[in-house]
Amino acid sequence: MDKGKSLLQKYHIPISNLDFGYVEKCENAREMEKIVMILRSGEEGYFPDLTRCAEEKLKKLKPDSKLFRTEEKIQQSNVLAKHELKPIYDWTNEIKNKDNVLSELKEEDTVQSLDLPPVRKTTKIDIDKDETETSKNKPAPKPSAKPQPKSTNEQRIKSTDYSKWDKYDPDEEILRMDLEQEREKEQAQIKLKNIINTKKEDQLEISEEITEQQRLNAQIAKLSQVEREQYAEKFRLRGNEYFKAKEYENAVREYTRAINFDPAQAARSYNNRAISYLKLNNYLLAIKDCEACLRLEPDNVKALLRLADANYNQGYRRESYGIYQRVLELEPNNTSAKKSLEQLRQQVGELAPAHATRMVIQELPSDTAPTTKKPEKPAISKSATPKPSIPKPATVEPATVEPVKLPKDYDLAELVKPNRVIKSKIATAAEALGGTLKNTNSIANAQKQQMQHMMQKVASAQGQLRLPQSTCSGSTNNKLLIQELQ
Amino acid sequence: MDKPQMIEHLHESVAYTVYDTKWIPLSAKFVVLGSKPNSHGILDIYELNEDKLKKVKSVEKKAAFKCGTFGASSLRNRHMAIGDFEGRLQVLDLERPEMAVYNVKGHTGIINCIDAIGGTQLECGAPEIVTGGRDGAVKVWDIRQGQEPVVDISPPAQMGDGVNRSNLRRDCWALAFGNTFNAEERLIAAGYDNGDLKLFDLRAMGVRWEATIRNGICGLEFDRRDIPMNKLAVTTLEGGLLVYDMRTQHPTKGFSYVEERNAGRSVGSNGVITGPKATVWTVRHVPQNRDVFLTGSGTGSIRLWKYEYPDRRVFQDADGNKEGVAGKLHMISAVTLSSQPVHSFDWHPDKLGLAVAGAFDQSVRVLITTKLNTL
Repeated sequence: MDKGKSLLQKYHIPISNLDFGYVEKCENAREMEKIVMILRSGEEGYFPDLTRCAEEKLKKLKPDSKLFRTEEKIQQSNVLAKHELKPIYDWTNEIKNKDNVLSELKEEDTVQSLDLPPVRKTTKIDIDKDETETSKNKPAPKPSAKPQPKSTNEQRIKSTDYSKWDKYDPDEEILRMDLEQEREKEQAQIKLKNIINTKKEDQLEISEEITEQQRLNAQIAKLSQVEREQYAEKFRLRGNEYFKAKEYENAVREYTRAINFDPAQAARSYNNRAISYLKLNNYLLAIKDCEACLRLEPDNVKALLRLADANYNQGYRRESYGIYQRVLELEPNNTSAKKSLEQLRQQVGELAPAHATRMVIQELPSDTAPTTKKPEKPAISKSATPKPSIPKPATVEPATVEPVKLPKDYDLAELVKPNRVIKSKIATAAEALGGTLKNTNSIANAQKQQMQHMMQKVASAQGQLRLPQSTCSGSTNNKLLIQELQ
Repeated sequence: MDKPQMIEHLHESVAYTVYDTKWIPLSAKFVVLGSKPNSHGILDIYELNEDKLKKVKSVEKKAAFKCGTFGASSLRNRHMAIGDFEGRLQVLDLERPEMAVYNVKGHTGIINCIDAIGGTQLECGAPEIVTGGRDGAVKVWDIRQGQEPVVDISPPAQMGDGVNRSNLRRDCWALAFGNTFNAEERLIAAGYDNGDLKLFDLRAMGVRWEATIRNGICGLEFDRRDIPMNKLAVTTLEGGLLVYDMRTQHPTKGFSYVEERNAGRSVGSNGVITGPKATVWTVRHVPQNRDVFLTGSGTGSIRLWKYEYPDRRVFQDADGNKEGVAGKLHMISAVTLSSQPVHSFDWHPDKLGLAVAGAFDQSVRVLITTKLNTL
């Protein structure tokens, strides 16, 4: 077009702007692009440093500029390491097996075929005829543009025809044009609505869904395992796409289909449907799906995390807490589980009755303290048998503990009347504690014995032991919760 | 490198012009269609064997093959529908290719393009094949019906038709089925040499929408053909790439789109894409991720694009009409594959990242794209 012009003239950029100082200051990405283009073209001379500087600046202003699109020669497969190619080789062999199965199937029953929909009735769509039709009903941009000038042409008033111009009322004309436009728009809308309405009718037919479902099941029954897997996988992938596009209802529908087709290997579909339900805030169904997934794959960490999340949102915080701990058992370094657990711990603490205190018993080997223990954390440690001067409610903060297993709260409220301990029952309570430990505990026996030992001490040294509420005389606490830690 | 990388895994030179390459579903085999120097049609089946390709079968027929598809065949029979240079549509059983399962002379000239649907989709209508030819006609075939198309979308006869056929008739270059999500709904998008883009509704039996693009349309594909239509990618001469958002049709403005005019632009100095514009021959969406697609261009390069949805896909204009909002296109990766146009490309339907490409340099390449799952 502008053959004679240089880029500089074409872009209207003064030559003084091709300068380090200006490039430094320039904040306009579009202008920067132009400068880079001029510099790259070499029309104004070759300035490698300035070009580089301008490119760097542009990268800062507009990292995804088209000017950075590059193309390379294709690389050969030797750039891939062996382990990267191996999945493809494995896949090749796997798909060959499937291929063979299918060929055999084909030999088996060429006659039996799935009931196909009937052949369409023969019709003809005439392009040109249709064009005229559409122009009548729907003002497509092209046809609608034509008739308008025509109609004005007919009524066009000659510039010299003053008598007619006298009668001409521009307001009326404008009104008429507006009305015409309005009418066209309406017609177009009617046409579009028709399309949409027919669609809606289709959706109404879904009331026959059950029969549909039965028919589908019959269809599925006819398929071989290979085919079923194939279909299930297709639906699952489609569900993933919908999920990515944030269309969770559609995603749920596709995952449901995937599950229908291959229930035996539907762990992933269940799992994905669970997260879709989570996004739809349908926590109960999400819980159900997570559980279904876990039945198929008991150690699926993602499913566990989702289950915990769903439980939490449904308000089942304790369940959620337990599940997070199970996750940590499987993956001790799972950060999201750790984080959620930390949060939950604070909330679970809040969950306890307002007037309850929580005694924390933390077990430490007699000589080494666990590194996880925070130094400022006061705890009743094993080695230091409960001293009479147990620090006051500070001991009692649940947030200071780091439990790894599900904590159990033993309500000793019945045992403890305000400011009075029923001595005779403490021993049995301690035993009960030990007993439950035996059942639930995965940690060594020694610990349990220690625990029992301690509790016996507690029982025997009753005189020495003062329970927290006795130390803070003013408080009205009458409940004692011992949080079991392991 | 954390972005996807396209790698040439295997390369096979052939002694004929390659016109189409297609994977056989659920197998490690692909079909190459082409034209021998004596203008005979040739069909080769290759099988992937770890690090080499094995030719399994070779079939020769009288007329050169132009295009083929497995879309209308079930997983069990996997028949291939092929269009040739003499306007003949045949459906071949690849186990017994000598006798065609179905054979019809559908068009007066070359069959330029073919698409098919309904083979593997359950409850999604009859298996149908659509062909578009140089004679400007678009015809839909059901192989259970005899020698007549079930739907015939032909331009009217014009002056100059017959022996001295003038160039007045449009040439149909690209076709795609779409919107097939239940037993009734079905659409065909057709692209013509003059840039006409038409959307035929096979349920209402009429033209649903039409538009004209600046250049002739070489490639068309719905991102998924078996869902309520979502996106339509269109490639044109002179390097155009358009992606229409097909969710919302405005009464007057139609569908909104995002355009990338430099999709076919070739490589200039130091690997930066600044060269002249070239035709974008084909567009193929990744079967496992509908928002990622690849274009093959006349300069022998292939480019991987990602469509990013806008925050809101629909907005209401002042008149209360709904109008779609197009998203953005990002080029993820670009590589030069050949010195000649890459005009056919097929992703493996069952393996993410595996693809076969055919170029006019008489060779077929098996490509691996890494890290596609990260997109």
